[in-house]
Amino acid sequence: MKYAFYPGCVSRGACPELYPASVKVAETLGIEIEEVTDVGCTGAGVLSRDLSDPINARTLAKVEAMGLSSLMTICSTCQGVFTQANHRFKNEPEYRQKINDEYLAEEGLEYKGTVEVKHLLWVLMEDYGVENLKPYIKRKLTGLKVAPFYGCYIRRPTSIIAPKGLSGRKTYLEDLLDVLGAESVDSSGKSKCCGFPILTVNEENSMRMVSDHTGDAKTKGADCMVTPCPLCHLNLDANQPTAEKRAGTQIGMPIIHLPQLLGLAFGFDEKEMELQRHIVSTEAVSRQLEVSIRS
Amino acid sequence: METTFKVYRFDPENGSKPDFATYQVDLPDSATVMDGLRQIRDEQDPSLAFRASCERGSCGDCALRINKKGRLGCSLKIAKTVKNGVVTVEPIRNIPVLKDLVYDLEGFLWKKIKSVQPWITPREPEPEGEYVVAEEQLAEVRKAMSCVMCGLCDEGCAVIKIDKDFVGPAALTKAYRAVFDPRDGQHDERLTLVSEPGGVWDCTHCFEANGHCPLGLEPTDRLFEVRDEAIRQGIRSGTRNPKVQRHYDSFLNSVKRSGWLDEGRLAIESEGLTNVAGLAKLLPTVIRAIPKGKAPLPYFHHKRPGAEAIRRIIDKAQRSEV
Ligand code: SF4
Ligand code: SF4
Ligand code: SF4
Ligand code: FES
Repeated sequence: MKYAFYPGCVSRGACPELYPASVKVAETLGIEIEEVTDVGCTGAGVLSRDLSDPINARTLAKVEAMGLSSLMTICSTCQGVFTQANHRFKNEPEYRQKINDEYLAEEGLEYKGTVEVKHLLWVLMEDYGVENLKPYIKRKLTGLKVAPFYGCYIRRPTSIIAPKGLSGRKTYLEDLLDVLGAESVDSSGKSKCCGFPILTVNEENSMRMVSDHTGDAKTKGADCMVTPCPLCHLNLDANQPTAEKRAGTQIGMPIIHLPQLLGLAFGFDEKEMELQRHIVSTEAVSRQLEVSIRS
Repeated sequence: METTFKVYRFDPENGSKPDFATYQVDLPDSATVMDGLRQIRDEQDPSLAFRASCERGSCGDCALRINKKGRLGCSLKIAKTVKNGVVTVEPIRNIPVLKDLVYDLEGFLWKKIKSVQPWITPREPEPEGEYVVAEEQLAEVRKAMSCVMCGLCDEGCAVIKIDKDFVGPAALTKAYRAVFDPRDGQHDERLTLVSEPGGVWDCTHCFEANGHCPLGLEPTDRLFEVRDEAIRQGIRSGTRNPKVQRHYDSFLNSVKRSGWLDEGRLAIESEGLTNVAGLAKLLPTVIRAIPKGKAPLPYFHHKRPGAEAIRRIIDKAQRSEV
């Protein structure tokens, strides 16, 4: 199956390590992807839906025009905004029609409502099959203690993101870690908000969320946290030093992008996964991986 | 059905620490958790304090934490919640407890609900006789009309957990009800009011609240609608929350210019170009990021193909907003 690929802007902006890691993982697994380039930001839940719905309908129409029916994302936020907008387009044909007529027709585009938007995590668990990953695992992550951190938008609103029949989505990260040989650590922030959306408006609250989540993962004994969302990564990694200072504690919790963790298991080294770009040192992860290989 | 109730007990007057007491109750399968509490009080321990009024899920008085989830005690059957024969009952979280299961809603809920002025101020000129409102006009309002002010959405809110001053989803659901009421004459003022610091813009959009409302009112969606309405009004937040306006405008202009978000510029513009202290605060983060190749510098942000089409969409959408 071939996917249209929507990398989102953070994977090229503030988290430039995410884009190549994702592409390497897809290549390794033989997942065929074709990037949609001439489309806009999803609005990230910041822009009013009056503006972002037409922009997202345009992106989905472009995917249809490519002759594809699935769009792969690598960001929980992109995923959530798309899923919610797509839910409206699919369930409210009149609304979709209105957007088609008012915004897309002049470019000769029309969104028919046929596209499924899937985060890489969902692609692996629902389409590719977690069992089929096994042959590619070159180094088991045995002994590595990983706290999953989903990001709000890939969990909620439940009625749309993980409806009946797809409620397994709530444990995909744990299920995946299990196959990679890593140990999941259940920390209190797992399904909570990272605080990124309020970083500018209320930095104090945002930083409190960062120190609470990373601090709890540390207390529970995690070597690192893994996230499918680059915005969570930004707040938890790049802002962790600020959060530490505010909370008056030392945390030093490495935050790994999901595709990086997959890449490490598939035999890429830390350099190839660009772990050196992270703000919080990932050395503890490397050390644990060394131990795993030797034993 | 025989059930063990583990009930939170606390009496500030006898100076003891909060603790759980265990009781056995025997009730028919159809009994609710509230029936259980009443049996305990009537037959075993008359000192147990709890609140309830309507007993049919419409007053919100009996909001409790039952088996670690916020629920209405009168609307939850024991059979539905019991785990290994046990039902644990506690007050809701993040709130001062007065005695046992009775807590103080004043600061947690009432003050906040009052702060959004949830009463309708008639639109001028007042009609002679009653307002006639078409059913379609009321459809939006109905989404929030049945709110029972139980506060359970606030109990589950990710921000209230760490910041008791955040106005919270319950009050914002009330604000929604008034903002979209066609009879109301304070529409714009309301949007200004909820845009103050600690208001709608302090919400992280985490959608937690939706999972906590026993009536399925989806408080986060209501709040999103209030927010989108505020954006249509041009975020009249006044001068006390200028960052909101700057952040939104910067985000919007970046997407308008290039089709994408320009993260470097967003951080700088949100602080305000003349806000030296705010900009200085960003410096350590930028300095840490540059050697890692992580600081997206605004002047390297390129226009994407498709940017012209995106700009046209935004222009058009903004025109239809006003
Ligand atoms: S949702 Fe986030 S990552 Fe996705 S395109 Fe928009 S800003 Fe970029
Ligand atoms: S969406 Fe906003 S109001 Fe609702 S729980 Fe999250 S932070 Fe609180
Ligand atoms: S919105 Fe729902 S949870 Fe919140 S106060 Fe109203 S009824 Fe209770
Ligand atoms: S007693 Fe009124 S809602 Fe439970």
